[in-house]
Amino acid sequence: MGWTFEEMDRMFHPRVVAVVGDKRDRDYMWLRSVSTIRGRVYSVQVDPQEIEGIRALGFPNYPSLRDIPEAVDYVIVAVPRHVAPRVLQDAIHKGVHAVMFFTAGFAETGEEEGIRLQQVLTEMARAARMKVVGPNCMGLFNPRWGLRHHVDQYYGEGGPVGFISQSGTHANAFSLVGYQHGITISKSVSMGNGIILHADDYLDYLGQDPQTQVIAMYLEGVPHARRLFHLMQAISPRKPIVVWKGGQTSEGARAAQSHTASLAASTALWQGAVRQANALWADSFEETLDLVKALCYLKEPVGPRLGLVAMTGGQSVVITDAFAKAGLQVPLLSSASYQELATFYSTVGGSYRNPMDMTPTIRNLDLVQRVLDILARDAHIDAICYEVNLAFVPRGERGLDRLVDLLGAFRERYERPFLCVLTPMHREGEEREVRLALARRGVPAFPSFLRAATAYRKVWDYYRERRERLVTPQAPALAQPVPPGS
Amino acid sequence: MSTADLFATLRREGRTLLTEVEAKTFLSPSGIPIVPTHLARSAPEAVRIARTLGWPVVLKIVSPDIVHKSDIGGVKVNLTSGAAVARAYRDVMESARTRAPQARLHGVSVQRMAPPGVEVILGAGKDPQFGHYLMFGLGGVFVEVLKDVSFRLVPLTPRDARQMVREIRGFPLLAGYRGQPPVDLEGLEKALLALSAFLEQHPEVREIDLNPVFAYPQGCLAVDARVVLEESAILTPTGG
Repeated sequence: MGWTFEEMDRMFHPRVVAVVGDKRDRDYMWLRSVSTIRGRVYSVQVDPQEIEGIRALGFPNYPSLRDIPEAVDYVIVAVPRHVAPRVLQDAIHKGVHAVMFFTAGFAETGEEEGIRLQQVLTEMARAARMKVVGPNCMGLFNPRWGLRHHVDQYYGEGGPVGFISQSGTHANAFSLVGYQHGITISKSVSMGNGIILHADDYLDYLGQDPQTQVIAMYLEGVPHARRLFHLMQAISPRKPIVVWKGGQTSEGARAAQSHTASLAASTALWQGAVRQANALWADSFEETLDLVKALCYLKEPVGPRLGLVAMTGGQSVVITDAFAKAGLQVPLLSSASYQELATFYSTVGGSYRNPMDMTPTIRNLDLVQRVLDILARDAHIDAICYEVNLAFVPRGERGLDRLVDLLGAFRERYERPFLCVLTPMHREGEEREVRLALARRGVPAFPSFLRAATAYRKVWDYYRERRERLVTPQAPALAQPVPPGS
Repeated sequence: MSTADLFATLRREGRTLLTEVEAKTFLSPSGIPIVPTHLARSAPEAVRIARTLGWPVVLKIVSPDIVHKSDIGGVKVNLTSGAAVARAYRDVMESARTRAPQARLHGVSVQRMAPPGVEVILGAGKDPQFGHYLMFGLGGVFVEVLKDVSFRLVPLTPRDARQMVREIRGFPLLAGYRGQPPVDLEGLEKALLALSAFLEQHPEVREIDLNPVFAYPQGCLAVDARVVLEESAILTPTGG
């Protein structure tokens, strides 16, 4: 079954949303989450005690979907599982555009009754060609539209990152934690068991969505792996795709089985397919965050040679190890750079061979500026990584603001990729604020040297491969549309 | 034996696992370098074949029911004369009859003993979701203990084959170490591409193992082959 871009897009932009079965003991989370949409929200509830609370919140309530006095685009279903088929039947009868089932307790339980009910829902939806998100999921998030699945999610603004998740927790976490890292969502979905709409359908949509520039996926197992692979191949020359695969160990695969009743191909096969499609492989939530951040903020890397700036001698050794371990280079600078550095750089307590140990010049922002400018112009250097060590940033807003300004302006001035490592030391409380201030100026900040190095390495690999493939087209699938179910 | 004949035999005998000789015959049109291997049904025939191949030769029991041939004394290597081949034939058959009395015995395969090279593995399988894929790795302990292998989905591009060979951790052993000459990497890539093309033409294949393949400074040579077909392939008379 194939879905057009328009069908998927309308689902992400519902004008009328109905929430079936929201309750006080959930704090009416669904009604409150979608109350921000550019449109109208109805409640469907039959329990008089719940209805009272829902009316008090200001939502009109009806006893059935069929009674809602206008056409409905998106239905959120939060009823017990045995009621789910009846709600789906009502939705089909009313001709709603799409249905999302928060309701869990289906095939992921491994129980006969859960499997049977999932089969019932699947057959009903297929016969009616009804778009179903889930079940066992948190559904869609389109912040620009105000369509949310968590009351802490932002709205009214959105970003360039699309996220597809088989897990509701990871979908929530990626939007909420990502926001603390300067990552904003274009559209995301927690798709759960995916009985009708699968990861490949969402990828197809995000690949075409003009607001989505970077795509990340948390997958455990997918039913149309071939189509997903062909779509990744077709999309990755235009939009980078990060794949975080859960269930990598046999133990993890067992957990995935009870989680979303997934089929789990071997991790090694997944890794091969991801590389073949020139997508980026992530091993964890943190790495997914790092890679997406780097893809959003880094200017396109063209080489492996780093100019590294650390605040102290000890850190300069460790940052160099981290980048070298990631398979990157930390070369000596050109002689012109050394001649210039020698005119002002104090080597008493510091060093400027590359890495730069800034100990003596650390508080003098004019000298920081000169060092960065020299690195940015050096022909031996492809990218620059700067350590922001909070222990050495003057207290008070002015010191920090000036440094962030300097780094932000530097990022704008040169074409070289520029990244920071934010070392909080004992001033952890300020970390988030500095990270966000840097992100606002387009500078990605990573929490460790190793994470910065790994992110740069993987993003560089991606762009290098992309450029090489453009020169010699390799994948036959690129030229052809990808039919559903292939 | 043509592929059609092969499938007819498999259907008649109700099996999906090919014998070594069948597997090599099946794979021979693929263009993958495979050591020529012939079935001998008697000791004199084994001697005759050995003389045409040249010395030394290897004899292996051929049976659809014996997977681990050396475990039952079904392999004799480094045979350098007609007398040795005749004796080896009788020993191998006798050993198989004693230690695997239920097994159907087709005879013995005779192949020239390939000069040693760096041992690698080329494999293929069918994932229920991804479909046909290829595997590459170094042989022996590297694949069994360290699982140092790379995977790609079929069909492969030349770039995929190149990356597959290079991304295993043991790649330095192929690239030449301690003064050893590098193996013919291009030859391995070509073999992978040939295997990929073969799988595209043979959707009925469930598994292929070319193990070991000897990689040389010039070229490579598969010395053993194992092929398993899909059940459905031998059930339908049009299969193949």
